[in-house]
Amino acid sequence: MSKDSQMRAAINQKLIEMGERERLKELLRAKLVECGWKDQLKAHCKDVIREKGLEHVTVEDLVTDVTPKGRALVPDSVKKELLQRIRAFLAQHATL
Amino acid sequence: MKMEEVSMSSLDNSKLEGLAQDILSDLVEDACLGLCFEVHRAVKQGYFFLDDTDQESMRDFEIVDQPGLDVFGQVYNQWKNKECVCPNCSRSIAASRFAPHLEKCLGMGRNSSRIANRRIVTGNNTNNKSESDQEDNDDVNDNDWSYGAEKKAKKRKSEKNPNSPRRSKSFKHKSRPAQAFMGP
Repeated sequence: MSKDSQMRAAINQKLIEMGERERLKELLRAKLVECGWKDQLKAHCKDVIREKGLEHVTVEDLVTDVTPKGRALVPDSVKKELLQRIRAFLAQHATL
Repeated sequence: MKMEEVSMSSLDNSKLEGLAQDILSDLVEDACLGLCFEVHRAVKQGYFFLDDTDQESMRDFEIVDQPGLDVFGQVYNQWKNKECVCPNCSRSIAASRFAPHLEKCLGMGRNSSRIANRRIVTGNNTNNKSESDQEDNDDVNDNDWSYGAEKKAKKRKSEKNPNSPRRSKSFKHKSRPAQAFMGP
């Protein structure tokens, strides 16, 4: 099992060092804005804020409320595209 | 051996797939957190509900599209015809001419130094003209290394004395090499 986690750690490191993780992040962000995910989630945030009160909202409130919904709302097409890029990277750089 | 390899590769593939999913999951979580921080900051800084104002206030800030005004409704060429008093020479100058006037007046800026340099060189030449030979004048004119020659190339014609014996240049060029060899 440790060999496994070693490999994962190595891949993650490579991902970061080569700047690919940053690029993937930007790509994901752009796609999510494009497909309206951000606006959807922002609207949901407004509800949470109105509920909790503008003065009393904390980061934790938002995170606990928004993150699961955010995960669920990511469209499949976006997931597919990102996965494709990630798989391509792994195919190139994963040594087993 | 081969069968083992095949099963190994399928295992690896599922591992890789799992890894890819995990990486995606991390990225999505990053995006969500990013949004949370953005929203939280907007809430605390007070600009989160900014685009929810009522219709009336929205109308107040609409883009202005009239001639003579900028998008904020301000008059933008109102200062063109105003006059300013120069702090140096105390003259009243039009606003649009004020900056160039200051440049000349204070003796700063690119053009002022050029003009000053030109005046210095001209001053030197007019002082020396009576003394120098025709040959020296030729050298000043034709020699590319001379400092003043390039800058004064245009002005030279207007400063030429119509009565000077140098008027016909072609004649001079023919005899010049001979002169140079023969010395002063």
